[in-house]
Amino acid sequence: MTMDITFNIGGAAGQGIDTIGDLLTQVFVQAGFYTFTTKDFESRIRGGYNFTQIRVSDIPIYASVDQIDVIIALSVDAVVGQRDNLSEGGVIIFDESIEFEDLEACHFSAPLEKIAREVGGNVKMMNAAALGAVIAVINFPFELVRQVLTDIFGRKGEKIVAGNVDVAKALYDLTKSNFTGTCKYNLETLEKGSCTDKLILTGNKALALGAIAANVKWISSYPMSPSTSVFQDIVGYSQQLKIGSIQTEDEIASLAMAIGASFAGARSMVTTSGGGFALMVEALGFAAMIETPVVIYNAQRPGPSTGLPTRTEQADLLFMAFSSQGEFPRIILAPKDPVEAFNVATRAFNLADKFQIPVMILGDQYFADSVMNIPRIDVSGVKRDKGKLARSRADPDYKRYLLTEDGISPRAFPGDKGKTIVSAGNVHREDGHITEDAEMRKLMVQKFMNKIPAIMTELNPPQIYGTAQADTTLLTWGSTWGAAYEAVKSLAAKGESINQLHFCDVFPLRTAKLREVFAQSKQVIAVEQNITSQFASLVRMHTGLAVKQHINKYDGRPMTPGWIISELEEGGIV
Amino acid sequence: MITPEMLEEPQKVTWCTGCGNFGILAALKKAVIELGKPIHEIVLASGIGCSSKIPHYIGGVNSIHTLHGRPIPIATGIHLANTNLDVIVHTGDGDCLAEGLGHFVHAARRNVDIAVFIHNNGVNGLTKGQYSPAAPRGYVSNTSPPPPGAPMDPVNPMAQAITAGATFVARGFSGDQKGLVNLMLEAIRHKGFAVIDILQPCVTWNRQLTWKYYNEHTYALEETGHDVTNKFKALEKAMENGDRYPVGVFYKVESPDLASGIALPEKGTLKDHTTDLKDVQKIIDDLLL
Repeated sequence: MTMDITFNIGGAAGQGIDTIGDLLTQVFVQAGFYTFTTKDFESRIRGGYNFTQIRVSDIPIYASVDQIDVIIALSVDAVVGQRDNLSEGGVIIFDESIEFEDLEACHFSAPLEKIAREVGGNVKMMNAAALGAVIAVINFPFELVRQVLTDIFGRKGEKIVAGNVDVAKALYDLTKSNFTGTCKYNLETLEKGSCTDKLILTGNKALALGAIAANVKWISSYPMSPSTSVFQDIVGYSQQLKIGSIQTEDEIASLAMAIGASFAGARSMVTTSGGGFALMVEALGFAAMIETPVVIYNAQRPGPSTGLPTRTEQADLLFMAFSSQGEFPRIILAPKDPVEAFNVATRAFNLADKFQIPVMILGDQYFADSVMNIPRIDVSGVKRDKGKLARSRADPDYKRYLLTEDGISPRAFPGDKGKTIVSAGNVHREDGHITEDAEMRKLMVQKFMNKIPAIMTELNPPQIYGTAQADTTLLTWGSTWGAAYEAVKSLAAKGESINQLHFCDVFPLRTAKLREVFAQSKQVIAVEQNITSQFASLVRMHTGLAVKQHINKYDGRPMTPGWIISELEEGGIV
Repeated sequence: MITPEMLEEPQKVTWCTGCGNFGILAALKKAVIELGKPIHEIVLASGIGCSSKIPHYIGGVNSIHTLHGRPIPIATGIHLANTNLDVIVHTGDGDCLAEGLGHFVHAARRNVDIAVFIHNNGVNGLTKGQYSPAAPRGYVSNTSPPPPGAPMDPVNPMAQAITAGATFVARGFSGDQKGLVNLMLEAIRHKGFAVIDILQPCVTWNRQLTWKYYNEHTYALEETGHDVTNKFKALEKAMENGDRYPVGVFYKVESPDLASGIALPEKGTLKDHTTDLKDVQKIIDDLLL
């Protein structure tokens, strides 16, 4: 049988819903399943109503879905919050201490906290209690849970293992005898799944790992949701790997410092969200003018202004592509998931060094915080390309901005003996000193632009998912890939002629495949997490090709395959 | 050894005749020669304004002519990426005390080991004479609301630096070459955030803070028996807004610098350090369930 089941753990911030979620994810990953977890939380430290939603399947999955099968509620808000999304035959398990009287057949009140305290001797074991109840409801073999708990808590000692197993078992047994409803899933005969992907990562975590693999040596940032965990993770590795880091006074200083460190020869990055990037724009132009590589990560959230700090949107694309006065090359990469994120991070540093330009990684809260289990990342294939460097011998005539055919001048760094490195944000001569000469101004602008042909060949082309040709093509970029991919798959299975054209390397735009697809497909539909279809605008600007139908989501909540399908149906597209 | 010929200006100087910046440039060249450091290990970082054109008037020295108000964070990044370098910031009062004041205060608080030379002339010269954050109350310029002139008190860079945590704070005068060279040498050699507020007339725009005014209104602080390790006394001197301005070292103490608190390699520099991919693989493998 195919298993595709979604759990939702809801409660107030600070109640430990993440811990229960992590435990559930680990259980299913250890048992050989694919998982996809999203976090829905409010911008507050305590209270409110937050949830973690975990989808589990025995086949690969790439998005969250709308229908929930089992809800674990730690507050009354959570008991009612997702009731409408509960699938037929779904179950809502809640702690017996929650006062809730409108009981339906789907409700199951369980002594989670009580058993944790009485059997485990520790309220923290409520996680195991919740797990036991869930497992009983879906008839998941307890033996698998025992094994997994032993693996997970093994490092903490036998007592902790035994406590957690006992609590889970107590709730399991109790639920078995008290739960009178039936869940649509009965996994009694379940064997271990076939998935061997044991690396549980968010998009942000994958970016942090990619950055350290790429030899990032400097990070200066100011905390801003939903980007902050990248900064935190890299700082966490900094002592071991020797990475300079500072939490700056503002984002202006963040990018300024990173440019300074890069000018001096250290691979550098900053992390922020759209509002922080707004402050960085001045320094972005400076990095471009002095041709100093830097990697900028923007984890988008809905704007303008403070917007929705902990939610998702893809509305900074055009801002990233066109921010700053003047004209210069830049690259924007929008990874779709953690697997791609690791590669994007390593590529970003190489591209920045190779072309001596700013490279932007454009994520969003959904990408940043969603969790997948992915195959082990093998770093042996990671390449570090520092680009064109000046020879180490002394060279009194060294010119940092030497005019070359490809626009790229060999780099040297202050401290290199026998060379003088001069850079300026003003228009400058080849030696870096400033000038107002009209001809030199033209040559230096052309120098920027001469890099673009090589950039275009270095970037990856977009990918077609599904059949090579179809009547309908969904045009996507970045994190909306997964929901659209599953929507296409499910519609194609029903006989629709539909495929997907997806971009990770979004800027500068590669147009060849677009022209092909526009010629072949009867309708190209932009699917974007914004209201104006910014990527489609970019396509039109660069190709003249107009997307005529759009599916846009801008409520701050991620797309699901089901939502896309219903939008396509409502729009008469399928 | 650095010779005066090596430092000859790569570009024709564009400052006005009689500009106070000439004295600062002359002192900088002398200081760079006397410093005894290989020339390739010196970096100048400047902001925007007349002051910040100085990298183009001194040859053979690495430099980065940056953004308005931002030379300090950029210099901070350069310094930490390669702590072998001596990083010297040249900035103006319009640069450092307006757009750059936040960075200035935070750099002082971090005690980052760079030297900051503020070319202080009380006006925004290059944009043609508007009142700068260092202009005295009542200073009349083309952007100060008439009739009273600048309707606010000036920023006090010395007091800002001392209270924020700078560990070397001095005032120099562009007209006092010998004194300025010595202050520059002391500031560059100081381990920590070193600031010199350099009084400098703008002969074109500022009719108030002139050569004559400074010659008549400055006095040598060291002749007064001032204790440079006493923060409150230093602050008192910094607050001296009377008829005469003290010149010399106000404050000088030792304190851990920023680099000592950053995860820099034990040997060599951050720029030359390479993360071992084996360590990264181990970090990843430890995350595996």
